[in-house]
Amino acid sequence: MINAIDVTKDYRTEGRVNRVLSNVSFNLAKGEKLALLGRNGSGKSTLIRLVGGVELPTRGTIEQTMSVSWPIGLAGGFHGSLTGNDNMRFIARVYNKPFDQIKAYVEDFAELGKFLSEPMRTYSTGMKARFMFALSLAIDFDCYLIDEVIAAGDQRFQRRSHEELFEKRADRSMILASHIGEIIKAYCSRALVLHRGRGKVFTDLDLALDIYNDL
Amino acid sequence: MSSFWRGLVIQWRVVGALIIREIYTRFGRESLGFAWIVAEPLVFAIPVLFVWRAVRDPNEHGISLMPFLWSGYLPLLLFRHLGGRILLFIRANVPLLYHQRVTIFDIFLARALLEIFSNLTALVVSFAVFYTIGAVDVPRDLPMFYLGYFYMIWWSVAVALVIGALCERTDWVQQVWMPYSYLYMMFSGFFYLADWLPPSLRNVALYQPYTQAYEMIRGGVFGTTITTYGDPAYTTFALAILTLFGLWLMRDSRKYVVIE
Repeated sequence: MINAIDVTKDYRTEGRVNRVLSNVSFNLAKGEKLALLGRNGSGKSTLIRLVGGVELPTRGTIEQTMSVSWPIGLAGGFHGSLTGNDNMRFIARVYNKPFDQIKAYVEDFAELGKFLSEPMRTYSTGMKARFMFALSLAIDFDCYLIDEVIAAGDQRFQRRSHEELFEKRADRSMILASHIGEIIKAYCSRALVLHRGRGKVFTDLDLALDIYNDL
Repeated sequence: MSSFWRGLVIQWRVVGALIIREIYTRFGRESLGFAWIVAEPLVFAIPVLFVWRAVRDPNEHGISLMPFLWSGYLPLLLFRHLGGRILLFIRANVPLLYHQRVTIFDIFLARALLEIFSNLTALVVSFAVFYTIGAVDVPRDLPMFYLGYFYMIWWSVAVALVIGALCERTDWVQQVWMPYSYLYMMFSGFFYLADWLPPSLRNVALYQPYTQAYEMIRGGVFGTTITTYGDPAYTTFALAILTLFGLWLMRDSRKYVVIE
């Protein structure tokens, strides 16, 4: 269960306060999948980072009673001068998982081959996204925070991602920032629409998508 | 297992993983990587001490120069290196904060422990080198020496907490740190004993916890052949306050971190 109550986030830029989120509340039960809808800059990534504990809200609380993944997106969470293998080793230690098992899964899923022994700064954006996504699946969380990443990679990777995420892990919770209406309608039960810092939860996904398209 | 113990076990695992990662990122993965941790402070200490030995009067103020410089320079290195490593450490480690289990405090602890370990090894190795050539003797009052060094570590960690947390809030902490860590050489007690100062100045100098620690270290090295003014009760009190202040700042500093 995740319970976000009146979450507000301000950023300070050159002395000016920029309010990105203003009193946003929502909850997420175990196994439930919530879509995040909003235009670029509406605070989707910020909200995902707050739920993932990467940043702290300026005001409000986010309670968690299940294990929550790091925000899985196009960037972040790895060290560029370390190799894929060393990043994997570090994350395996932090989450107390056997390295061999994690490595086997990531090798199979991310299909990075010999790149795993190269520093990660030499990876393309798609390779980094595939790597971190595979790693988060290998760690096995109760709830996955997904920021657009399922649009990454080629068709084969996308198909396998869908299979791993939505079929094999159908019992997990998910917060999914996506612009793709079919994915949202296929897997999510509710949607949180963000606009100008405000957030509203809709159970009618068609309505939510219509509103999003009109924003 | 109670949740407190579980928390502690997780924290130690995270700190351990961070230390290994830090070694990789700083020194590379080759076998020399680990050796560098030990060698780095030695590369500073040994040439500097030899040069001083060559140019200065070996018996200034009636005490021998080498033990005086050796017992002054190693704590100075700890202070400067720990502070230097901790500047902007949060910003430099933003990728780590993606993992909820990794806290700012864990990252701080990993860096500080690595720096302390590296310094203590350098202390032992440099002692062995200078002892072998007859330049320094075993400290006359070992418990006093250890106590003084302990306070020096504590002081360095407490200051690192404060500046590590503050430099996320304002950029001038970095500008101040450079001259401060340099001038520190002059006023810390690295170059003097409190006994050499006029009483009025001495009373002011002894308000500084690091001068207190230096007094205890020197008292340990030279025993009763010199007069020292170390006061463990005052030093503990001053450092405890500084540490609490540093922890409070550090706890709050997460709010100031902006990620990409």
